[in-house]
Amino acid sequence: MSKTRVFSLSRVVTVTWRVLTQISRDRRTIAQMIFIPATIMLIFGFVAGGAARNLAILVDNQDTGYVVPGGQNSSILHFGDSILSSLQSDDRVSVNLGSFDSGKAGVDNGNYYATIMIPANFSETLFLRNTGQSLNASVTIYIDGTNPTIEATLLAALQSSLQNTFGSGGVVLSEQYAFGGVQFSGLDVSIPAVIGLVLTQLVLIISIVTLVKETTSGVMSRLYASPLSAFERLLGFSFALLILGIGMTGIILFIGLVIFGAIVQGSFVILLSGAVLYALLNIFLAVFLSNFAKNELQAVQMVPLILLPSMALSGMLIPVSSFPGWVQTITQFVPMYHANRLFAGVMLKGYGIGNLTSEFLIIGGMTVLFFALAIITVKDRMPD
Amino acid sequence: MKSLSSGGKSLAHPFKYGKETVIETSNLVKVYKEGAIRAVDGLNLRIVKGEIYALIGANGSGKTTTINMLTGSLFPTSGQIHVLGRRIPNKRRIVSNRIGVAPQEYALYNDLTVEQNIRFFAKLYSMDRGSIQKRLDELLSILRLNERRKTTITNLSGGMKRRVSIACALIHQPDIAFFDEATVGIDPVLRAFFWDYFRSLAEAGLTVVLTSHVMDEAERANRIGLMRAGKLVEEGTPEEIKQRNSVSSIEQVFIKLSEGVVADE
Repeated sequence: MSKTRVFSLSRVVTVTWRVLTQISRDRRTIAQMIFIPATIMLIFGFVAGGAARNLAILVDNQDTGYVVPGGQNSSILHFGDSILSSLQSDDRVSVNLGSFDSGKAGVDNGNYYATIMIPANFSETLFLRNTGQSLNASVTIYIDGTNPTIEATLLAALQSSLQNTFGSGGVVLSEQYAFGGVQFSGLDVSIPAVIGLVLTQLVLIISIVTLVKETTSGVMSRLYASPLSAFERLLGFSFALLILGIGMTGIILFIGLVIFGAIVQGSFVILLSGAVLYALLNIFLAVFLSNFAKNELQAVQMVPLILLPSMALSGMLIPVSSFPGWVQTITQFVPMYHANRLFAGVMLKGYGIGNLTSEFLIIGGMTVLFFALAIITVKDRMPD
Repeated sequence: MKSLSSGGKSLAHPFKYGKETVIETSNLVKVYKEGAIRAVDGLNLRIVKGEIYALIGANGSGKTTTINMLTGSLFPTSGQIHVLGRRIPNKRRIVSNRIGVAPQEYALYNDLTVEQNIRFFAKLYSMDRGSIQKRLDELLSILRLNERRKTTITNLSGGMKRRVSIACALIHQPDIAFFDEATVGIDPVLRAFFWDYFRSLAEAGLTVVLTSHVMDEAERANRIGLMRAGKLVEEGTPEEIKQRNSVSSIEQVFIKLSEGVVADE
């Protein structure tokens, strides 16, 4: 009989070999090992590649110009036009023209990110200031401050147009913040997205694991032989998960609002309704996905496949407006993108149902779609 | 501690044929897509009301597949099944109210208590509260589970889980009970108790269809169907089968019919 060693490298290698052999036999895991990182890196590579572009703004250039006295050598100054033309040549913004009031209304309802007003006496004030008078020329910007990246991009575009025209100094920028005049902190603007993220992750994981646990427990062979139809089982599960989803939504909102003091400018009822609807969407998505998982491990592996692309494409990390056009089209099919718009709309912008109709309809439509897919794919007997 | 003993009842169990047919299959075939395995191959069965019919055979002989098809959980590849006069799987939801199943695995919710599990399955059969309570008390008493009614399944022994599984199958007083390997791997005293219980159920008019890979155990059934590689290779009362094959035990019949070839090779 050979002597037993305290440590054997060969035993370690044997375990390593066994683990790798086992994984190599699990085709689904191998596919996920390749597919998930490839997909995620490609998505992040595409979405992170660009800066914010073509942000819609409205400019109200009221500047009437100024005739510099000088007899026959008199000249007319139009500094407002110079700013406008500088902005129009800047690809960070897409300039529309109109009245300041209509621009403000446009910012309030989400059509523009900012509106800029150049006053009638802008050129005159600037000229007189240069002659030594103690005057300030100002440009007013009414801006959507609910997305820090977009806000910074817009302010940078305006600053560079002013700098191109006047060099450093000379113009005072008067900033007015939309949506109650609140200048949001980083925490304020991130909480709506965090709610969407946590809700997606929690509801998906708990739902999918609960569903798959049922199929792996052996109970299904008894259920298939009972009067319980697949549709009844699916509905029963969905109601249970919805109750859990409401509970989880409550916890997330409580922590966000009470502990972190997140701002809710709109109706709490609308926020809660949106969150519950979004939870329901994820429940039906989980029900649908659970049909393709043979065990809990495979079920859990499905969650990052949904979650990571959703994070990348929902605009929570990088503004959607900075994505290439075709990626922006894809974002329209990402539930979390619409959920984030809904949550940010209620919490930061104080939107009511009227402004959020499309988000509610899209999320509701996707919920119905996933429910239909769940019904179509749910199993009502043992696999052949 | 309460005894599960049957009180030394004889294994003799007179049974009269010619009663109402409750299960009938004709050329039943099941070929699994994965691996193209022919699990059941041209099975013809006829089981009458009130009998204890044991499908016996080695692991992989097609017993569980047959039970799953008879209960409508698994669809056949070809052939016909009639249970209680209804075509299966077409009318399986109608028939499901009148059959009870105790699958090979315990098929219970581990996080629920004994009582919660039984109540859950009772409600699937639309039983009213009063009937559930009455039947629950009755079954828990018969199956000696009264003291464990509030215990979660995780904390039960294998034998107790098996008893709960049987209670779940019988809660709605079905006409046919399917017990897949219900007596395998349990204490001999409990096994004897189960057989006595099955016999009392059969005497009350319940048809019991059970499977087992323990050959000798099947001698307690009214009739035996011996399966091998998806086919029914022998059928009859235990005595008939032994006489026909000129041997003294069912196990010897199996060995003789196998001709020395291991079934699942």
